[in-house]
Amino acid sequence: MAYLELDSLTKAFGHTLAVDHFSLNVERGEFVSLLGPSGCGKTTTLQMIAGFEEPTSGTIHLNGRDLSGVPARERGLGIVFQTYALFPHMTVSENVSFGLEMRSIRRRERKARIARALDLVHLSPFASRYPRQLSGGQRQRVALARALVIEPELLLLDEPLSNLDAKLREEMQLELRRIQQEAGVTTLLVTHDQNEAMALSDRIAVMQAGHLVQEAAPFEAYENPSNVFASTFLGKSNSIECRIENGAIVTTAGVRLDCPAGAAHTGAALAALRPERISFVDPGEAILSGTVTERVFLGDQWLFKIDTPIGELLVTRRNAGRSEPDTGSTVHLAWQAEHLRILATGDAA
Amino acid sequence: MKNGRFATVCTILFAIFMLAPIVVVIAVSFTPEGYLEFPPSGISLRWYRAILDNPDFIDAFIMSLKLGLVSATIATVLTVPAALAIGRGSFRGREALQALFLSPLTVPTVVLGISFLRFLSMLGANGTFIGLALCHAVIIIPFVLRLVLASVIGMDPSIEKAAVSLGAKPGTVFRRVTLPAITPGVVGGFVLAFITSFDELTVSIFIVNPSTTTLPVRLFSHIAQTTDPLVASVSTIAILFTVAVMLFVDRLYGLDRLLIGEGKR
Repeated sequence: MAYLELDSLTKAFGHTLAVDHFSLNVERGEFVSLLGPSGCGKTTTLQMIAGFEEPTSGTIHLNGRDLSGVPARERGLGIVFQTYALFPHMTVSENVSFGLEMRSIRRRERKARIARALDLVHLSPFASRYPRQLSGGQRQRVALARALVIEPELLLLDEPLSNLDAKLREEMQLELRRIQQEAGVTTLLVTHDQNEAMALSDRIAVMQAGHLVQEAAPFEAYENPSNVFASTFLGKSNSIECRIENGAIVTTAGVRLDCPAGAAHTGAALAALRPERISFVDPGEAILSGTVTERVFLGDQWLFKIDTPIGELLVTRRNAGRSEPDTGSTVHLAWQAEHLRILATGDAA
Repeated sequence: MKNGRFATVCTILFAIFMLAPIVVVIAVSFTPEGYLEFPPSGISLRWYRAILDNPDFIDAFIMSLKLGLVSATIATVLTVPAALAIGRGSFRGREALQALFLSPLTVPTVVLGISFLRFLSMLGANGTFIGLALCHAVIIIPFVLRLVLASVIGMDPSIEKAAVSLGAKPGTVFRRVTLPAITPGVVGGFVLAFITSFDELTVSIFIVNPSTTTLPVRLFSHIAQTTDPLVASVSTIAILFTVAVMLFVDRLYGLDRLLIGEGKR
């Protein structure tokens, strides 16, 4: 039995199923992300694990214990909320102390554990500050220390970095990963940010409309998306509508493309192609030619929109300091057939 | 932002309009003469000594003080749970409940006074302290509700979830997290309620009896008989008392934050 086991978890609000027979296993010490757009049921799943929502059906087992009917306050989970939810009238160390006081831990041990927790998140000099005197990133770390100091069996992170600006978010991603590994705590992260999920997790569970769409390590999920949704949600992707006929791809525009080896599918499909896998080549080597309709400079890379016979394609190219084709110029494109992913159309995974 | 000249002039005129009557009352209270004189011809504490010769004013002051404290306490105790329910609940009749709590504002006070008089007479509680305190509580509940509600709505509801997840029982969550988080609104509401009760005349005049005469009622009946500067000296002391209460609360929580809403956090 896995450390955390969600089995056929379902939550209905009226006639809508927010979470629909969702099953997931998390091993001890693992960092798993629930990734999906807002409304996909990921937050409801977290609320059920935390004990704030009662599942309509299905079970949650943590460390061999059935959590059905166990009130939230007896679950012993560490939760970091999107708003941090720090107690505004308490200092940093009082915030961290709260959970220990609820466990009737003696003053001396409490002090030692608070000191250790603040040290872990590098906030020791701020122990007597109030939350309003801290920056967003510091509040975030107080929330983390408060959740970790009770030595929870499971750490739940609800969009913990979404209130931070982009630069701080990247710093906190590394920091969060370090803290999680130092504390060795099993962690479930809920997020809509694919970069965050990929950077932090051992495994990603992609959710769509209450269902689990894909469950894989970040690299695997990115390289082999299980369906159209997963391929477009995890990073950028060109989706080429096509049919598979006699081992070849025929796009809706009638262009024939080489099919990757081993694609067993026949009939209507989507061919997914990552923008970074398309290269600019000499006319003789080109699979397709097209016209640059838009060009965006992103610092470390260029993003092109190219009008081609099979529709508009996104292409990204690493910025290597050379000049790149401008809007209106003709470019010749090529890719390797094995970089195409053939996905069944429709919602069925 | 810097105000233009016109705005500055308006602000000054408004401040004069607000403060002039108070300045006149305070100035008149120091007159040595036996009638209301402005500007006073000299400075004397004659009418402050006169308060000591009229112990019924001191009794009335103490009565108003007790009444303010008791009625503000009743109103606050009733209103805090209501504000929590109205501010965060989503149940049928939520709007109606809020309208009910705010309704005393919409009824003319003199009508309330007559109704209270009839009601207390029916109960045989006319002129009793507790009857008076309950009537005052009704009048001041809207003030408390408005301020407490503002605090409740400004509170992040997930702090309660955080407390629960850390192992707190419902009572502990309320005592250690919810209540402290809304304390500014509760204290602000209490003080505003106290001051409103302390000042209340229209309703009280219907329902007091000689043993429960409040300061505004005592002043009113004094003016009805004579117009000596005693009312000015008593008023000055009442004004100073109110200012002292406001200053105390300002030092504690900041009046801007209580009366206007959360400033910077």
